[in-house]
Amino acid sequence: MPLDPQAATARVHDAGHDELRRLEAGLDSLQAVPETPRGAFRRTLDGVVPPILLLVALVAAWQVYIVIAKPRPDLIPGPLDVFGALASAWNSDRLQLAVTTSLERGGLGFLLAVAIGTPIGLLLAECRPVRRAVGPLLSGLQVLPSVAWVPAAIIWFGLTDATVYFVILMGAVPSIANGLVSGVDQIPPQLRRVGTVLGASRFEMATLVVLPAALPGYFSGLKQGWAFAWRSLMAAEIITQGGTIGFGLGSMLDQSRVLADLSGVLATILVILFVGILVELVVFAPIERRLLRRRGLMAAGLR
Amino acid sequence: MTSLTNVSAATIPAAAALEPAAITIDALGKRYGTGPLVLDDINLTIEAGQFVCLLGASGCGKSTLLNIIAGLEKPTEGAVTVASGKAAVMFQDAALFPWLTAGRNVELALKLRGVPRGERRSEALELLDLVNLADAADKRPHELSGGMRQRVALARSLAQDRKVLLMDEPFAALDAITRDLLHEELERVWRQTGRTIVFVTHNVREAARLGERILLMSSRPGRIVNEWTIADTGSRRIESPEVARLGDEITDQLREEIRQNAA
Repeated sequence: MPLDPQAATARVHDAGHDELRRLEAGLDSLQAVPETPRGAFRRTLDGVVPPILLLVALVAAWQVYIVIAKPRPDLIPGPLDVFGALASAWNSDRLQLAVTTSLERGGLGFLLAVAIGTPIGLLLAECRPVRRAVGPLLSGLQVLPSVAWVPAAIIWFGLTDATVYFVILMGAVPSIANGLVSGVDQIPPQLRRVGTVLGASRFEMATLVVLPAALPGYFSGLKQGWAFAWRSLMAAEIITQGGTIGFGLGSMLDQSRVLADLSGVLATILVILFVGILVELVVFAPIERRLLRRRGLMAAGLR
Repeated sequence: MTSLTNVSAATIPAAAALEPAAITIDALGKRYGTGPLVLDDINLTIEAGQFVCLLGASGCGKSTLLNIIAGLEKPTEGAVTVASGKAAVMFQDAALFPWLTAGRNVELALKLRGVPRGERRSEALELLDLVNLADAADKRPHELSGGMRQRVALARSLAQDRKVLLMDEPFAALDAITRDLLHEELERVWRQTGRTIVFVTHNVREAARLGERILLMSSRPGRIVNEWTIADTGSRRIESPEVARLGDEITDQLREEIRQNAA
């Protein structure tokens, strides 16, 4: 029944209603949960300072050990040696080349994995028979280390970038698809029921209810997918060398090993670790924080 | 659940008697699979604009009956006719979409109803104002209290613009003070919008406080065993002596029904 605005305004001035309004407003303000978001600066400070302090402490302890114990530098290099290896890799442009090549492959491979994993996940989540058939296989693939595919990929694709991408896909696609499936599974049934009651069509239900509701689960699947993609890429780069495969961080790592240059090996490991942390901090963490905070899913300490 | 007649809008409950029944239930029965009967031979006519409370102990099938009227479940036998087509439904859980603000939640209902984009915002605000929540339009569900969430859910079900509103224990999870206020709120909204309301509850006082007509259901199988009609529904409160008196009477019979399940 359409609301009659005139009747509504007439009743607003009704004394009893005014009293109810004030009563309700009072109760609302008593029950409201005040949320005091910390400023962006404060949040960054809180997030950045502790890990940097830890890093400084670890490097200092390492240096103290080197100074006191004086180990053989070719077996246990000091922080200065590793930093020197990093600087020389930078000066010869090998570091920049390796980082851009690996990031480009990792990023492209990840996007490919998203494009393939998302429809698979949707199909599995919404179609029972497909899920019964494919579900265990997909879970198995998630457990199987994707490095295991490297020999087969080399035989199929030779020493080309296709080998690298294949290994990345085998690592990342199952995680992304499984993340979406568990995201859809975790949707509270009453949200779908509300969709039905509100008269949503199948398409509207999928786009306006199911997908947004599954977003947190899907997102953690994406995060895991990226981790798998990055690991698989490193494994593939270390094992497959030569051919038309470009020079990535894994190749740099293996090259240092061949030269028995432990400083170079450790420097490359640190770079691989650092790139992983950076992608997490710059790409995934802000999106995740926003996603969870908007839904009130964030623990108070993380706000 | 077919709509054969389209009843023209009426804004005052007094005119309701002239209209055909809003909900007609005819020899309705329900069982799940080969299990026992959940609902047995329910016959019911609910007039347009009436506020009906459906009361019964847990497991008497009152929620099942409501879901059947809502079209969420199919009856095993018999038929249900909702004259105006489909009904709006409100659940015990507000079930607001957590990724949308209060205003957007109401707007989504308007969108699914087919209201053009330009009108949704203002209409949503108007509906939120009706439940005294216009200021909370930009808040997200997790920032609202339980009572506020239920009021947004009420605004959302009003946004569906259906003449029949089905409510499944909507205030059961709220504290007593909030519930008391929401009773007043709901009564006011009912008078203002002239909707037909079917309100399921296991709280006898709540039924006596709100209903114009109270239906008591027995358990296993669920049957309607008695009904009360309240002539004067003005200015009742949950503490009022007449509400208490009616509540006592209903409680006595409800206990009698429950006792029969002891054997």
